[in-house]
Amino acid sequence: MIAPHSQDRIELTHEIIPNAAIAHEVRADEDGAVATFDGCVRNHSHGRSTIYLEYEAYESMALSKMQEIAEHLHGNFAVNRVAIVHRLGRLEIGETSVFIAVSAAHRAAAFDACRYAIDNLKKTVPIWKKEFFADGAVWADGEIPPAPAAAETPASEPASN
Amino acid sequence: MLVKVLYFGRLKELCGFSEESVELRNGSRIEDLFAHCASSRPELGKFRPSLVAARNREFAAWDTALCSGDEVGFLPPVSGG
Repeated sequence: MIAPHSQDRIELTHEIIPNAAIAHEVRADEDGAVATFDGCVRNHSHGRSTIYLEYEAYESMALSKMQEIAEHLHGNFAVNRVAIVHRLGRLEIGETSVFIAVSAAHRAAAFDACRYAIDNLKKTVPIWKKEFFADGAVWADGEIPPAPAAAETPASEPASN
Repeated sequence: MLVKVLYFGRLKELCGFSEESVELRNGSRIEDLFAHCASSRPELGKFRPSLVAARNREFAAWDTALCSGDEVGFLPPVSGG
């Protein structure tokens, strides 16, 4: 288990996400940039008018995968603090479903890390969205996460000391 | 051995519940568990090509061997964000 960076904020919530507060709290004196991504509920999907959305998650695994994304950002981009917060339950049009904020000394790292985080979240974090229309509801198409094709060879491998 | 199975999204709706406990023969793999679960719900089997499996909150190959007490999730394509 990787030790989380103590000032990161990785969260699932049923409440309205406090975007401005999160963007503010990732900022430290050594930072010169904060990049944020605000994913919000659109009023249409595939040509149909959306009324509202419902999100559900495999919560323990989703938090673990969100934590892995944050750790990847710390290991691969020159970032300072990371916040990744996803909302669950019923969301109305215009509400934020996911908010990501990344602080860094310089803007390139903040932008790149923020982009990586949302792209990766959409591919690997077990969260599902159901779209409700006037005439019915559908589970959004989604992406198949990358998973190992075959189990790792069990104990017959020589132990690495 | 006893394992816990979790269903999400459309699979949860299809099954009508979000988790169940399944008794399996020792040495069973994830694919054996899925076949067992789908045997009483043929509709579930049709989703197999689009599903990924997770064992104890990590993505896992279908041929992964299970242990007693494992938690296995059958995950439809994800659509967070």
